[in-house]
Amino acid sequence: MGSLKIIIAYFIYLPIVIGLTVFVSKKLFESGKSFMIDIFRGKEATALATDKLFEVGFYPINIGMALILMKISSFSNRYEINNQELIEVMGLKIGSFSIYLGMMLLLNLFLFLRRKKVTRSTQKPQSPVTPNI
Amino acid sequence: MNFNVIIYIIYIPIIFFIMIKVGWLLFKNGEVFLCDIFQNDLEMTQNVNKLLLIGYYLINLGATTITITLWDNVESIHEMISTFSSILGKTILLLVIFHYNNIFWIKFLNRKKQTFN
Repeated sequence: MGSLKIIIAYFIYLPIVIGLTVFVSKKLFESGKSFMIDIFRGKEATALATDKLFEVGFYPINIGMALILMKISSFSNRYEINNQELIEVMGLKIGSFSIYLGMMLLLNLFLFLRRKKVTRSTQKPQSPVTPNI
Repeated sequence: MNFNVIIYIIYIPIIFFIMIKVGWLLFKNGEVFLCDIFQNDLEMTQNVNKLLLIGYYLINLGATTITITLWDNVESIHEMISTFSSILGKTILLLVIFHYNNIFWIKFLNRKKQTFN
């Protein structure tokens, strides 16, 4: 009976986690397009391709992390797990994954902003020339 | 079904509602400040703001979900009410402290930028 509850917990956990990952990466790289176009100075094909590649890389990292976090180890030898413990364990798992995902999102945003700043500062000596011509 | 399960079922919707409401208000009203920081680049502002909102939701809702593992066992109704109120109060106070911290940083950054220009 206890192991059945743990299996139910896994089947609740997996759709939530995968849905969260898909949603976040979709939103992140939808906004990332404009950053990428800025970074690559208007070369749209390269920018969109890079964006797509980063998006494809974002899924495996996070889903892999979610699968590593999934195992509920502390109850595997016991046959009694009550509803309260189940809710607590699920809260711990989903919450820690959510914090991890948020950290990844903010890290990505930070990297985008920094790259954009670098591009702008290297571009600056050239930009005053163009209005004069 | 013991008292702990009941209290979790009450606690999670309340705290989620508060978090989502506060995040939405910050999202609406913070756009002006971000617009100042990004020198009126409107599209960039909206993108960054949206991403910040999602990051806020993920981190805060995750943290509040984690806190339910730290509760004591609740035995009776009056214990349930006191635990519930103290935890809810602590969480909201923490949220407010972060909020004022954010306001301070926004003011600080804006002032620094104005002295530069």
